[in-house]
Amino acid sequence: MRTQRKLLRSASLLVPAAQRVEWLAEWSAELHYIHRHCPESATRFCLGGFRDALWLRRHHPRRDWFRLDSAASCLAFLAACAAACWLLALALGARMPPRPEFAIPMVLGISLLILPSVTILSPGEYPASSRARRWSFLAAKIALLVPIAYFGALDLGALLAPQMQPHGLIVGFVAVFRWALTDQRRRCPMCLRRLACPTVIGCSSHLLLEWYGTELVCTRGHGLMHVPAIASSYSVQRWVQLDRSWRSLFNAQT
Amino acid sequence: MADGPKLSHTAAMILQAIQAGDGYGFSVMEMTGLPSGTVYPAMRRLERDELIRSQWERQSIADAEQRPPRRYYRLTRAGRAALEASQKRYPLLAKLAEVERP
Repeated sequence: MRTQRKLLRSASLLVPAAQRVEWLAEWSAELHYIHRHCPESATRFCLGGFRDALWLRRHHPRRDWFRLDSAASCLAFLAACAAACWLLALALGARMPPRPEFAIPMVLGISLLILPSVTILSPGEYPASSRARRWSFLAAKIALLVPIAYFGALDLGALLAPQMQPHGLIVGFVAVFRWALTDQRRRCPMCLRRLACPTVIGCSSHLLLEWYGTELVCTRGHGLMHVPAIASSYSVQRWVQLDRSWRSLFNAQT
Repeated sequence: MADGPKLSHTAAMILQAIQAGDGYGFSVMEMTGLPSGTVYPAMRRLERDELIRSQWERQSIADAEQRPPRRYYRLTRAGRAALEASQKRYPLLAKLAEVERP
């Protein structure tokens, strides 16, 4: 029973903090019953807890404690991180091992090849009017994220394992590119502020003939973002522009 | 006119198990033969869709049997309607319901 309890405690770490105590109480109570009546299935029962915990984590409304709402604050934060990573690399005297197979262009290429397997590359459907601003913001983010990944890998390698620096670099580039794309899709294309008020629309059992996903709102009233629960060829992320007549419903600070 | 949510076979089985059994997670697993990793997330979805409702049993009942209190699930009115509709869609489910009735 001790092993099963440890499994449940491990799984409970995946549950959102507000639900963790109740979740653990529910599963522990069932485990107590199973252990008395069907002990051979107790471990298999507890392993299912991970899936339940992941479901709760995935469907918990996120409260980002660190939102980087505006484009300016996001870029300022990234610039500060890049500077911090660079200064730390200088202080540690970190150097990339001279291995030609891990030259920066090759590492970037490998990271870009891996990227489609970890995130959706499609930006979704947006109005053409804001294209230059959105692409400029994305380019600026990537320009700041590349040194973060590079110097961050150097710093971690110098602190932990220098021989893993090149591998850390690939992982770092994939992670920052993925974050850049995910962050881009969560921003209003007009003002580049983070979208808010996620609302689940539809029913998961109606996936085939009806739309099921999340709707996000620009707090300045520029529009709505519809994000499908499952991206497919016929259902992509879509921006719905609102005209000026809607602005009075929002906090008008433009 | 909305017909209400169309349930998957798994969700319908779980609803039927909740109605026919004690409403605890493990009893649903025993009746349906589904693993815990399937049953519990499905019950979360059903509760979110307001087809079932959960409630902790009273501490006095658990204390009397010297065990921790359990959480049990019951069908809501919408859940009963959804189950009836599912029994029409899935004839085998309706047959299982007849077998379960005394």
